[in-house]
Amino acid sequence: MSPNPRPSPTRLERAVLAMHGRPGPGYLLLLALCGGLAAWGAYAFYRLFTQGLQLTGLGRPVGWGNLICNFVFWVGIAHCGTLISAILFLFRARFRTAVYRVAEMMTVFAVMTAGLFPVFHLGRPWLAYWLMPYPNQRGLWINFRSPLVWDVFAVSTYLTVSVVFLLVGAAPDAAALRDATTGLRRRLYALLAFGWRGTDEQWRHYTRAYLFLAGFATPLVVSVHSVVSWDFAVSLLPGWHSSLFPPYFVAGAILSGVAMVITILVPLRRAFHLEDIITPHHLDMLSRLVVLTSLIVGYAYLTEFGLALPQPASDPERATFLYRATGHYAPFFWTMVTCNCVLPLLLLARRVRRAAWALVAVCVLINVGMWLERWVIIVTSLSHDRLPFAWRTYAPRWPEWALTFGALGWFFLLFLVGLKVLPPISIAEMKEAQAHAAAPSGTGTLAVEVSHVA
Amino acid sequence: MSPDPGVLAAFAEPHDAARAIRALREGGFDDVRAAMPAPYPEVLAAVGKPRSFMAFASLPGAAVGVCAGLALTIGTSLAWQLVTGGKPVVSMPPFVVISFELAILAGAISTLGALVGAGAWGGRRREFPRDPRFAVAGVGVYAAGGDPERAAEILRACGAVEVDDVQ
Repeated sequence: MSPNPRPSPTRLERAVLAMHGRPGPGYLLLLALCGGLAAWGAYAFYRLFTQGLQLTGLGRPVGWGNLICNFVFWVGIAHCGTLISAILFLFRARFRTAVYRVAEMMTVFAVMTAGLFPVFHLGRPWLAYWLMPYPNQRGLWINFRSPLVWDVFAVSTYLTVSVVFLLVGAAPDAAALRDATTGLRRRLYALLAFGWRGTDEQWRHYTRAYLFLAGFATPLVVSVHSVVSWDFAVSLLPGWHSSLFPPYFVAGAILSGVAMVITILVPLRRAFHLEDIITPHHLDMLSRLVVLTSLIVGYAYLTEFGLALPQPASDPERATFLYRATGHYAPFFWTMVTCNCVLPLLLLARRVRRAAWALVAVCVLINVGMWLERWVIIVTSLSHDRLPFAWRTYAPRWPEWALTFGALGWFFLLFLVGLKVLPPISIAEMKEAQAHAAAPSGTGTLAVEVSHVA
Repeated sequence: MSPDPGVLAAFAEPHDAARAIRALREGGFDDVRAAMPAPYPEVLAAVGKPRSFMAFASLPGAAVGVCAGLALTIGTSLAWQLVTGGKPVVSMPPFVVISFELAILAGAISTLGALVGAGAWGGRRREFPRDPRFAVAGVGVYAAGGDPERAAEILRACGAVEVDDVQ
């Protein structure tokens, strides 16, 4: 046996190395577009930083607007990664293998995006550290009974655990790439591999640690969006004060997250020729998740109205829901219902689920609908609360739109850079699935080329 | 640190490697090691090591997180007694949220620390000959100590693609 022979990469390593290779003009164009959007957002933040929230459309009674919508939206997008990587791992759903790394990357970058918005919204962002408990000369401590403080702990924990989960999962893959490359790339992969050598001793601990991390991440994913929903539900505002909110928010988060994963996966598999790795079966299974969560979200919408409308005419809850459906913002409400409850039903047709670009179109519209859902919940309730003399409509101004689209640019910028650094496919898990699919009776061969793993 | 002298074999298929490991252990080779690009359960089962101690890192980590969360919330509330909404200064329901989040955080970090530590310690204790091929494809089986000729014979009989002595 020759000493330390350089292994020839298999199809999986080659696929990842191709993604990590020299960027093409399409990639650079997208990078420039996302960078431009992010720069526009950064400029808007600079203006808010120097001139304050007076530049926004916020005021009385609508003190929360686009910025908080964006926070809830991006936390929701982040949920899908943990659902696919942790929850489906615990349920032994094999279809997750080819797609979960992309979802995990999306989670980390979406939380990094979400975390910016409360800071933008502070008005005095240089005092953001006041949200953290730290000893100070005044003897002041933060109020742990405030749901806004729960958010700080929930979102920062979610970011940390998601990063740990992503890096732990990527270490064996980085080791495979390290051993198949040279030069600067080898150094980068060696850094991500944490000294991984794939020995039985390492795998023995790794499989157990991964199980525990999945066990920690599963209740976390449910808790984080529940905590975000409590930002609204523990207040007394009509349209917000509801025990329905936590499951409703979690289902909505998963709906928007899975839709975003599909939106990213379809162009990714096309651009990098991954059709044999991310198969129509994977997209089909994700589409079914979209339909399931859309039905749960639709049920939540019906329940809200079903509980509010039978109340007496004087009931503010009833008035708020009628206002949502028939008032100033009714077009947004009905667009939301169409995008989140009607369009996903198209995915019941196998033909639509298998038509990749139709699937992307539906998923993009679902995300538009989910953003509008947050807008409808936040703005309609605040603009039309218990005091009719205070009713006022809200319209976002340019810095709020700049930050909204800037966040989109920032998220995709991070994702595009992440694609060049992290292995977007779980090589180790794919190989395990491939080996067992290739030799079900113990007589087959360990295929080095990926076939239909699903 | 170099590994103990022994015999290294490369297998194309995990089930052949698992068969070889079992045969080696039945043949009196107590120290049999493996390296592979994926956690093939049959190979890990054949090596026959006890279950990992990760639970003993994760659960105490989570327990420390719960205690830290309760100490932080109760302690700081008592240090700065601000009554809001007529609720008790020490209100357990909201404090449970913080404790829960810190339990998850500390549990995950302690698991990561234990994984990195165990990987490094295990690598030193049971060194595997450096061969990058096994991070990419196939399974490497290493029989440390014992009669090298007998080990090579068993490994070849179980379908090893390549067998070599390691000094």
